[in-house]
Amino acid sequence: MEVSSKETRIQQDTSGIVIKIVAYIFITLFTLACLIPFIIVISTSFTSESYIIKHGYQLIPRQFTVFAYKLIAADPQYLIGSYVVTILNTLIGTTVGLFLIAMTGYALQRPDFPYRNTISFYIYFTTLFSGGLVPYYLLVTQVLHLKDNYLAILLPSLMSPWLIILMKNFMKSIPHSITESAKIDGAGDFTIFVRIILPMAKPALATVGLFLALGYWNEWYNAMLFLSSSVKYVPLQLFLYNVVSKADFIRNSAAAANVPPQDIPMESMKMATAVAATGPIILVYPFVQKYFIKGITVGAVKG
Amino acid sequence: MKVLSKLVAIVLVIALIGGMFIVSSTGKAASNVPKNFVKVTYLMLGDPPTNGQLEKVSAEWNKVLKKKVNANLELKFTGWADWYTKYNMILASGEPIDLITSADDWLDLWPNAARGAFKPLDDLLPKYAPITWKSVPQSHWKLCKYNGKIIAIPEDQFTQWVNHGFFYRGDWARQAGIKLPIKDFETIEKYLDWIKKNKPGVIPWDAAVSIGQEIWDGWVESHTDAIGLPFGTGYHRIFWGKSAKDWATVYSPIFDNTMIEYAKMMKRWSDKGYFRKDVLTYKGDTRSALKEGKTGLDEHHTQTYLGLRVDMDKKQPGSDLQFFPWCYTRGNLVRLSILHGATCVGRNSKNPERALMVYDLIRNDPQVYRLVNYGIEGVQYILKKKNGVLVRATPPNYDENKHAFWSNFWGGRNDKLEIPSENTPIEIRNQLWGYFDKIAKDFPYTGWAFDPKPIQAELAALSNITNTYGPAISFGKVKDPVKAVQEYRNRLKAAGYDKALKEVQKQLLKFKKQMANQ
Amino acid sequence: MNLPANSSRMSYKSKSRFSKLRNSKTLLLMCMPAIIFFFVFSYIPMPGLYIAFVDYRYDLGIFKSPFVGLSNFKFLVISGDLWRLTRNTVLYNIAFILVGSIVEILIAILLNEIAAQRYRKVTQTIMLFPNFISYVLVGLIAYNFLNYDYGVINNLLKNFGAEPIDFYSNPNLWPFIIVATRIWKGAGYGSVIYFATITNIDPEIIESALIDGASTFQKIRYIILPLLKPTFVILLLFSLGGILRGDFGLFYNLVGSNNSILFEKTDIIETFVFRSLMNNFNFSLASAVSFYQSVFGFFIVTFANWLIKKIEPEYALF
Repeated sequence: MEVSSKETRIQQDTSGIVIKIVAYIFITLFTLACLIPFIIVISTSFTSESYIIKHGYQLIPRQFTVFAYKLIAADPQYLIGSYVVTILNTLIGTTVGLFLIAMTGYALQRPDFPYRNTISFYIYFTTLFSGGLVPYYLLVTQVLHLKDNYLAILLPSLMSPWLIILMKNFMKSIPHSITESAKIDGAGDFTIFVRIILPMAKPALATVGLFLALGYWNEWYNAMLFLSSSVKYVPLQLFLYNVVSKADFIRNSAAAANVPPQDIPMESMKMATAVAATGPIILVYPFVQKYFIKGITVGAVKG
Repeated sequence: MKVLSKLVAIVLVIALIGGMFIVSSTGKAASNVPKNFVKVTYLMLGDPPTNGQLEKVSAEWNKVLKKKVNANLELKFTGWADWYTKYNMILASGEPIDLITSADDWLDLWPNAARGAFKPLDDLLPKYAPITWKSVPQSHWKLCKYNGKIIAIPEDQFTQWVNHGFFYRGDWARQAGIKLPIKDFETIEKYLDWIKKNKPGVIPWDAAVSIGQEIWDGWVESHTDAIGLPFGTGYHRIFWGKSAKDWATVYSPIFDNTMIEYAKMMKRWSDKGYFRKDVLTYKGDTRSALKEGKTGLDEHHTQTYLGLRVDMDKKQPGSDLQFFPWCYTRGNLVRLSILHGATCVGRNSKNPERALMVYDLIRNDPQVYRLVNYGIEGVQYILKKKNGVLVRATPPNYDENKHAFWSNFWGGRNDKLEIPSENTPIEIRNQLWGYFDKIAKDFPYTGWAFDPKPIQAELAALSNITNTYGPAISFGKVKDPVKAVQEYRNRLKAAGYDKALKEVQKQLLKFKKQMANQ
Repeated sequence: MNLPANSSRMSYKSKSRFSKLRNSKTLLLMCMPAIIFFFVFSYIPMPGLYIAFVDYRYDLGIFKSPFVGLSNFKFLVISGDLWRLTRNTVLYNIAFILVGSIVEILIAILLNEIAAQRYRKVTQTIMLFPNFISYVLVGLIAYNFLNYDYGVINNLLKNFGAEPIDFYSNPNLWPFIIVATRIWKGAGYGSVIYFATITNIDPEIIESALIDGASTFQKIRYIILPLLKPTFVILLLFSLGGILRGDFGLFYNLVGSNNSILFEKTDIIETFVFRSLMNNFNFSLASAVSFYQSVFGFFIVTFANWLIKKIEPEYALF
């Protein structure tokens, strides 16, 4: 946030300068640490397979080739389909989930809501005990009948106890007096939530929304379990996972006497698929982030 | 009202989204009347082709199936991602799948039968899969029984040799002054030593750690007459039958000199630097390295060798890739279990009769067989004669990306209908097969429905210990091999080795009696 | 607050004698989606935990399968590793929680001190990158950095004439490598919460403090840090519930399941279970382990919550 008064700026103390210097150094170093593996992934995806086998992964592409990308591009419809599935899933899941989480979080922090602790515990308890894989699988396939249905990857990730409690905590910082005065004006709880609280809770919405969206974007486990071959397009991360694990399987095939021996550049393929699957989100993310930052600062200046 | 309308709006939005997303493809409830059209599902391992060819080929075989048995066949794939969990999960959940790929040695046929995953087929087979029923000898059907009921159809009419061995370069071996073919581990050691000394930059054996499991089997097979029992105990197979003759006596080569000698040799190999220093974490690809000329040794089975030989002739001309199957040392070779590939009918199958009718066609009808295994003639393959033999060749405008097709049908291939690929080095193949055929003994354990239940905890604990100690011993990453083996044995004993051995022995003797009575 | 008054509802409302009850009814209704959601996805399958106590028969179903008591737990005990595994798992999680929180808070606070908007945005974005790469790739990259013969680090060391380090045979290095990898992967993501909390602080509070002559350090120490405490406590309570649950992907892909030289320091419950069951598929045994982890976590959390309630009742979860 910008500190408005010029005087205070000039009054920068020595600790401020030291901390600033530390901040730039630390953040820069950590950022570099986060960046380097990415450069390796990109660069390896452009390196010829034989070079990778001989010399390992590269920071700068050697024996530059786009062969791996050509292989991906030769049949792009599944990658594109995966994008569509993931983007739709992320958009819908984040929007619906965020609304439900915010609604619950708001209700749960209201000091005048007698059941708030009971419900909080009811929600939190699910993080401790779960039925495990088989009962969960039976639930989704036999009770909800969601096998091969995209709802099987949308619904289970809509809410999580962690995000609800986080939201509840954020909501706490909105003074209860605002709710009370609105009530005196005669507004119902739901109206207060939609009209007053939601617009004020932008930082919370931005944060929780980001977590939800990242969760949806990275989702592959439910897809692996519930979307079988009869679904044409799977989410991106599963698509990526399939490329990697299939390559591993062919290589280590203990059982598959019959997997056709393929002459694909597996190492660079893995990397190229990783780039193709994550690259675009990285290009798009700054634009989304603009919205987040804006949301955060607008929300912070509350009146 | 406002609250209500808001809620209604939300519900509508959710419903709308739901509607957009439902791409459910569960078939309509099928009736049991044979005249009715039904869809038969078949669970396959692995990922389906994603280039649209599966749909095209399916359409072709469905035309035939519709006409002949008024049914369609849909392949369901597990996907390779976490396939073992997923395969078992699908069986556990009781999804109404009609046909299920299974195997006694890698897909838990017997444990799954014990858990009630499959339908008994005794009454159905003669009626609905008559050709298969007749072509599989009664002696084989006996081996497919669990609790006296047939629960699996064996892939017993298909020849494949998946016995393992080392692949090595003939050119380098000759330069090392080694007389070909190599027939034992000791000569392999000489070969590796020559590479280490004469080929700088080459890792003599750039192994990935998982291969050690197979090397242990190979070591035992080439140093004893033992036959591995058909259930896993993690990284090292613990339990073995004494020999082809004395197959009902269980023992463990881990507890005799076999393991000590193995540990010593591998320690030597490690000290001399035949593999990477951090081989235990290396997950790389030995085969690619071999093709790049970066390593001199690889390991896998006969079928792989036949393909790789052709590949190596292209990638490393003159390499003259050779094969040392373990049985070369002392002729210890058993045939493949006839249940290495198998097809079962799911417990909740709604149309077991029609499923078997479809299966009978896949396995025995040339037209359907070719479609399922090879795809469409003219697209995936063309037929031609090579040295008087009918072979499959690649069509001139074939594009691997656009046209590749596979179905992973491993549950009932049939020699009578197989057409070899023109790339198979048929002479080498026939020579190897002929030799194997001459020395191989029948696999004595087919049909032995080993029941792990009484020693479930012990087996898990033992597996954990072989998985923990096995890799380090197998790649010589121990200070003193003899001591390490001793510690290994102590841990196995503590985890219930004796109890497990007793139980296995008991069950095996019971099986022997049962076989003798038949 | 100029809300369009909804007159009909108002009159209805004022007539009621039980307005408080009805108010909580609306709030209850607002919680309904969550209540239903967790009922369906968590509470319906929960009785399935019973699978840990039976010999699961697919044809009989979970509840009709033969009851076997505690025998599914036996394999955990007879291998003799239970204590070591429990210790490793707990210690790693404590390290992740502590080091992770410190780094995340540090990033958030320092980011907040960076005045250049654009630089802040760019770095914040990049710090999220590792969250997008799967542990499979992380494991591959790590091997390329650390391996003895060709690793990037050892190549550098050799260039400088130093002795190469044999990472994969030295178990003592691995706690650091694993914690560092975990932090590297999650800190950018985790710091978002703290950063959001900081930006959520009323700027007037900070401004008036600065005008009162507080130094930047004092601002951080006396205003920002205390305000981050509730977030930290909640994160802590959530992590404690899973204190006995390890991050399989991290350990499996970084260490592998074969390098027993390192196991003394790197083996956690999940990797142990993986090694035990990779050839003996058994849902009941797996559930037994999960049950053990849940009970353990439940007691830890109950205790921690009780403790927090004593010290600072506001922060308690329940």
